[in-house]
Amino acid sequence: MHLLLGTFAFLCIFPFLYVIIISLSNEQSLAENGYQLIPEQWSFEAYRYLWEMKAQVVRAYGVTILVTVLGTFISVTVIALYAYAISRKQFIFRKQFTFIAFFTMLFSGGMVPFYIVMTQFLDLKNSMWALILPMAVNAFYIIIMRTFFLRSVPEAILESARIDGAGEWRIFLTIVLPLSVPGIATIALFNTLAYWNDWFNALLFIDDPNLIPLQSLLMRIENNMDFIKQNAMLSNQNSSILESIPQDSARMAMVVIATLPIALSYPFFQKYFIKGLTIGGVKD
Amino acid sequence: MEMKKVGVLSLVLVLLMGILAACSGKSSSGETSGDSTEDHVTLTWYLIGTPQKDVDDVMKEVNKYTKEKINTSIDLKLLDWGEYNDRMQVITTSGEEYDIAFTSSWANNYALNARRGAFVGLNDLMDEYGKDMKKLIDPAFLEGAKIDGELYAVPTNKEVGQQAVLSFNNELVKKHGLDISKVNSIEDLEPLLAVIKEKEKNVTPIATFDAYLPFDSILQEELPFAFRLDGNTDEVVNKYEEDITMETLKTMHEYYKKGYIQKDAATSTDSWPLETANWFVRKEIYQPYAEDIWSRSAGYEIVTRELHEPYIFNNSVTGSMQAISATSKHPERAMMFLNLLNSDEYLRNLLDKGIEGVHYDENEDGTIKDLPARVENYNMPSFAIGNQLILKLYEDDPADKWEAFEKFNESAKASPALGFYFDSNPVRTEIAAISNVTSEFSPALLKGAVDPEEYLPAFNKKLDEAGMQKVLDEIQKQYDEWKKEQ
Repeated sequence: MHLLLGTFAFLCIFPFLYVIIISLSNEQSLAENGYQLIPEQWSFEAYRYLWEMKAQVVRAYGVTILVTVLGTFISVTVIALYAYAISRKQFIFRKQFTFIAFFTMLFSGGMVPFYIVMTQFLDLKNSMWALILPMAVNAFYIIIMRTFFLRSVPEAILESARIDGAGEWRIFLTIVLPLSVPGIATIALFNTLAYWNDWFNALLFIDDPNLIPLQSLLMRIENNMDFIKQNAMLSNQNSSILESIPQDSARMAMVVIATLPIALSYPFFQKYFIKGLTIGGVKD
Repeated sequence: MEMKKVGVLSLVLVLLMGILAACSGKSSSGETSGDSTEDHVTLTWYLIGTPQKDVDDVMKEVNKYTKEKINTSIDLKLLDWGEYNDRMQVITTSGEEYDIAFTSSWANNYALNARRGAFVGLNDLMDEYGKDMKKLIDPAFLEGAKIDGELYAVPTNKEVGQQAVLSFNNELVKKHGLDISKVNSIEDLEPLLAVIKEKEKNVTPIATFDAYLPFDSILQEELPFAFRLDGNTDEVVNKYEEDITMETLKTMHEYYKKGYIQKDAATSTDSWPLETANWFVRKEIYQPYAEDIWSRSAGYEIVTRELHEPYIFNNSVTGSMQAISATSKHPERAMMFLNLLNSDEYLRNLLDKGIEGVHYDENEDGTIKDLPARVENYNMPSFAIGNQLILKLYEDDPADKWEAFEKFNESAKASPALGFYFDSNPVRTEIAAISNVTSEFSPALLKGAVDPEEYLPAFNKKLDEAGMQKVLDEIQKQYDEWKKEQ
């Protein structure tokens, strides 16, 4: 059993190790031999390259961290408040509000209306909010949280708080929240991951190089590489285009620095995660 | 209960609308000023290319100049190579207001957008405000890029013909005393490849490429519909059914079996960087003096042999263009700017090379050399911006570079289908199916990885099942109609 689990764990980690190895390989030997487990020549060239474009990488890091922290905070707040409201039986419109949230899971407006709303009505193009707001409310997490509140916060406790004269805010902040830490932490982790990994909103709404998040930078480099390879005629027109794009090892190095922090943060969430997911996952 | 639900829903909707309306109070831009340049106007220009650090500095200079000349400022938005296509698609379908956009056969598809009405027709605007550039741009561009008689974008003046060449790693050619002067086709390569295979263990003789086939392809290059370049050029054919295709692919497969081509050719997306000298021959698209550019970026000498004479294809005349958006409030002003961009040497060089003294230095003889700032912070895609033939030459460029371009353009032969743009709407479903089949078969076939005698017939059978004949008939019908009007 241990052997089996160990093998499985190794299989999960292996691709990432491989990426690290490639990022430490010499570019020349990559071109000649392809990817190898033990490269002919080790090299820190890729990381030196990233160090050279550190201004851009550091800025992208900053954007990602800011968006992730702020975004997680906002979305957890909104989701918890919404879910708490629709989890309480005294709230008359809870069915309607549940329906409104649920409805968006079945039907979405599509990309073009989304783009029109974001750029023409809300005027969020090239703004940090374009990275935060679209993901602030997630109907699925609302449903999970609602179930969580229903199950883990007994009505009796709230009743007694009310008798003691606590208001709605006070009940929510001092009684409901502490009881729901596992659920909140789970949602927070989901949101953190989603914000950290998001590149699509940046692709749609961000032209300003100062506002590009890390994943989007990575995505751009990957896309450019593919695009230029597919349009061979381009590389002939301007040989400098290819030169301006990092080679294989540098791209892998970017994967490493983009993934490592979030991978390392995982153990801190883990103890909540197991508990939170099982409880939140049960639907009544 | 039902009523209550509807009531609440509509209340929420009304609230939402209110919020949206409140946020949409955007500043409306100034009135169109007809043809005068009295009012100051700012134009939004979408261009393909990696965003550059120094773009703002350069644009300040550009705007100083354009303000003086045509009372216009330019808001340049560079969208990266890989995302340009997707972004422009969303921007166009959402009806966003912008003025000028880069368009071509390979990104932000010119013919498709023009047909869809996304671009303004330019014939009249060009006659009125584009006189200067009209004199400079090769007429083949202006004629070939017309769709049903109307031009929808200003083509970049550059090499008009397209010519596939084989380029060789000259180090290896010299080392083994090979004679490339007799190589005129892929078949002629055989003896040379054999030598390389035997004597150079670390070299892959052929840097993976798609076999050259003498056809003018409709839509994408890999898709089967094409016109022949010799013989009966008025008949649209499935190029994968032609004898020449079978012959060529057989040769490619022969090379593959002999180990001249890498084993993973069909699926590999590895690029063959020039700097790594692990290849002997590759296929490239040529422009005058391209071997010099290639040699420079490779660090060793590269020599070429042409596979055919230069042809003018739709894809080559629409390779790089600037269109004026149908949503533009100032199409006249946009045309004035494009005219200036394509005819004014100062403006064109400023946008391309940056600021003199900061990004480049000019020598006494008028040639230039890059300063580090240009290489690092202002590396623009020269061919995508506009008229290349008024650019300053680098000190190591041949002095007759632009003359050579003109000569190359004169020598180029028009393809039979030049100027014919197929409207694929009537057979969209068939084309989607065919394109699926093609992407399944063509990479392996064209790169020589599979036996054409076995796979070509299977491929063609599947193409027929996908509705090949219907598409061919439709193309032929449209082509005949178009031909009659010529």
